[in-house]
Amino acid sequence: MHAAAATSTQPIVMQAQGLVKRYGQVTALDGADFELRAGEILAVIGDNGAGKSSLIKALSGATIPDEGEIQMHGQRIHMKSPIDARRQGIETVYQDLAVAPAMTIAENLFLGRELIKPGVLPRMLRMIDKKRMLEEAIERMNDLKVGIRSMRQAVETLSGGQRQCVAVARAAAFAKNVVIMDEPTAALGVKEGNMVLELIRRVRDKGLPVILISHNMPHVFEIADRIHVQRLGKRAAVLNPKMISMADTVSVMTGAMSPEQLPREALC
Amino acid sequence: MKDLARRLPPMSTLGPLLALLAACAFFSYKTDTFLSGQNFSLVMQQVMVVGLLAVGQTLIILTAGIDLSCGMVMALGSIIMTKFAVELGLHPMLAIMVGVAATTLFGWVNGLLVTRIKLPPFIVTLGTMNIAFAITQIYSGSQTVTDLPEAMTYLGDPVMLLGTPVARGVLVLLALYGITWFALTQTAPGRHLYAVGNNREAARLTGISTERVLLSVYALAGTFYGIAAMLSVARTGVGDPQAGQTENLDSITAVVLGGTSLFGGRGNLLGTLIGALIVGVFRNGLTLMGVSSVYQILITGILVILAVATDQLTHKQR
Repeated sequence: MHAAAATSTQPIVMQAQGLVKRYGQVTALDGADFELRAGEILAVIGDNGAGKSSLIKALSGATIPDEGEIQMHGQRIHMKSPIDARRQGIETVYQDLAVAPAMTIAENLFLGRELIKPGVLPRMLRMIDKKRMLEEAIERMNDLKVGIRSMRQAVETLSGGQRQCVAVARAAAFAKNVVIMDEPTAALGVKEGNMVLELIRRVRDKGLPVILISHNMPHVFEIADRIHVQRLGKRAAVLNPKMISMADTVSVMTGAMSPEQLPREALC
Repeated sequence: MKDLARRLPPMSTLGPLLALLAACAFFSYKTDTFLSGQNFSLVMQQVMVVGLLAVGQTLIILTAGIDLSCGMVMALGSIIMTKFAVELGLHPMLAIMVGVAATTLFGWVNGLLVTRIKLPPFIVTLGTMNIAFAITQIYSGSQTVTDLPEAMTYLGDPVMLLGTPVARGVLVLLALYGITWFALTQTAPGRHLYAVGNNREAARLTGISTERVLLSVYALAGTFYGIAAMLSVARTGVGDPQAGQTENLDSITAVVLGGTSLFGGRGNLLGTLIGALIVGVFRNGLTLMGVSSVYQILITGILVILAVATDQLTHKQR
């Protein structure tokens, strides 16, 4: 179902054209294009300095590009902060785990978006509805098949993989359009990494497209539907992982091979 | 059964509670006078001021900050409210409000320096501690303000509570603890305060305005110092420019003894109340035992180090 032909005909969800970002003398983005389609996991790879993180920052609202434009469902959007991105239905899972370790899983899931008790006085006092937050946390986590015993546990009692699952689940629960994941498996062991990959698949299967930034080629090949290769501040190619080897992908990424040298079916 | 265990106070509160009981048992054994209604009301009078400063201090420490200026800000507040009432003849209620407004403003300035100029709270409040002290001395000419209107000592007068006389201010203290506890545990802004102290970047990324949280915490702490000033004036019956000097560090001791972590994001107000009681009981008990004040300072100093060391050892690895 997730063959290249299927995904490349899916409608475009998020798109960017000619993104430019300069930091003093350094040009991090030099007219980069980007395209995310419905129901896919799009991996973004690139060497250090290829403009990968600048691209992701622009897409997640963490930086404002100097030139170029970003569209969501064909509408041009302007994002000045990660908060603006959230309003556009874009949720980001950060590498350094944006969770509050001493707070419970339920509290972390709803951090900054607490459910407020009904009624005039509770609304005025902004009283949180702990019971409903707990119930919804259980529901959301069950939905994604994250096996955590109690939502009342402090996040710091969880393993690294479980914490990452909480962060992913939070993003999936609130994202309306796109989930961006920045190196979600970087700090994890094999088993825990697989647990998170499995969760990312379930997020996609629930209908949310995922942008996955990763250095881990085996993970990228295991999970991505398409691969966006960023090089010298531009999009060098979009590759079909089913039709290209890991070695050729790395060659394109490092510039050892030009995309024109690839067979047609490797590109999408 | 499991539900019951969850409802019991956490270990971090149970520890201080046991320490408090142990201290009470020790002083009851060592002196004849400790365990009396009269002495209890004396302890409570002391705790009234330290306990209120410690509420503001708890809020700030929960955000991973610290306030070294609280006692001095309180002294400034008490001089302002007494001088406005006595020398300018302002209505006592109005004079108190001016004093509380002044300490709130002072806390707000602390907050501005911490959030806008991004200075470490330790340095900011070390500076403003001296500034508050100096302004207090200059404005009062280092003279105690006396002949206060009766209304200003009203809260220092005792009422009977369970057959023991307790200063009215103690009821104010308990009410403020209840309200603040509610705000911290049951409302969204309260949870945001914990999140900011626990992982500020994470809080910011979830859309919490961390600057606004911090600024309001410092300003609110200033309000509590102003109310502490009101109670201090009510208790002593004068506006004392030398007030707040022991209470300054004692408030931090109370918070830390109560199990709130100096790293921020962990702790609770019930612990602080117990911590304030421990400080009060120690000061009172040692006095009853005839231990000179210099040794009391020594002992409270050691208490702080012990409490901070426990905090370090339990939270460092995280």
